[in-house]
Amino acid sequence: MKFTIYRYNPEKDTAPYTQDYELADIAPGTMLLAALLRIKDEQDESLSFRRSCGEGVCGSDGMNINGVNGLACITPIDSLQEPVVINPLPGMPVIRDLIIDMEPFYHQYRAVKPYLTVTDPMPDVELSQTPQQRDRLDGLIECVLCACCSTACPSYWWNPDKFLGPAALLQASRFIEDSRDQKLEQRLQELEGPFKLFRCHTIMNCVQVCPKGLNPTRAIGNIKRRMVTRSL
Amino acid sequence: MSLYVLEGLRPWVIQRVSAVYMLLFTLYVAWCLLGADTTVSYASWKGWLFAPFNTTAVGLFVIAVLFHAWIGIRDVVLDYVHNIMLRIFILGMLIGILLGSGLWVFRLLLLSVVA
Repeated sequence: MKFTIYRYNPEKDTAPYTQDYELADIAPGTMLLAALLRIKDEQDESLSFRRSCGEGVCGSDGMNINGVNGLACITPIDSLQEPVVINPLPGMPVIRDLIIDMEPFYHQYRAVKPYLTVTDPMPDVELSQTPQQRDRLDGLIECVLCACCSTACPSYWWNPDKFLGPAALLQASRFIEDSRDQKLEQRLQELEGPFKLFRCHTIMNCVQVCPKGLNPTRAIGNIKRRMVTRSL
Repeated sequence: MSLYVLEGLRPWVIQRVSAVYMLLFTLYVAWCLLGADTTVSYASWKGWLFAPFNTTAVGLFVIAVLFHAWIGIRDVVLDYVHNIMLRIFILGMLIGILLGSGLWVFRLLLLSVVA
């Protein structure tokens, strides 16, 4: 099987280039990450990429696979057309090969204050929720912050410093919908303005690529609905 | 009010409300045209436009178009034009053109009411 992989080592290379690899005897059901690890072991140990858990939970191995962002560890090789073209997640600064600088992404994540804020005195027991209140968080808490969605979003490509991006907005929604959080008003207010939330034009690339099957567009729609209700 | 006029949520709502109004207005005009028993002439058009209900509907339509255009083009500029001076220039020009067109149409509508 043929692979065409983006290579760039800023310490040695003046410009990025692509390198071809060929791998034989790939067992059926092999995931792309396993193939990449074999290339690294058998052919080229300088090939660099992030990976950790290997089962779509840590979100480390997000990459652009045949033009679509995804996690290499849960992408079956059989589903891919040859040659498999692998690039780093688009629109982000490249540190080396498929490793991108995630800091701009984390910066936007931190901007939505991704933690519960309680202003009342803390109770002696847990802050409890009804099953219905807990259900509202389904589809929001499963995000693994792999950055596949944000780096697939054209609005994020054009304004990565001002538009929060689908991943951060999904997290904003996760705390807006949480019955235990007491800063709803402030959270909605902080998302006002033409850039942070409203650069989203419902392109829905985020929904298409999310390896966890989440729907950031719906989460953004829910935030907008809450803003409208609040302003009435 | 900042450089972007109306900020985030309000333009988003206005864009949707104006879109619905423009759609309804288009259907109304189509209905009027289909229902016209005579061939459409300048005189029949003038008669249609000078009916107070239609004058108001057209006036609201023009307002909806202007707001819709302002927000839509503003969004394109915010996405693609990153040089702040160029952005101010384009948005300034846009306000000028839209306001100019709007005043021109309202002058015509006012004349129609006076006439």
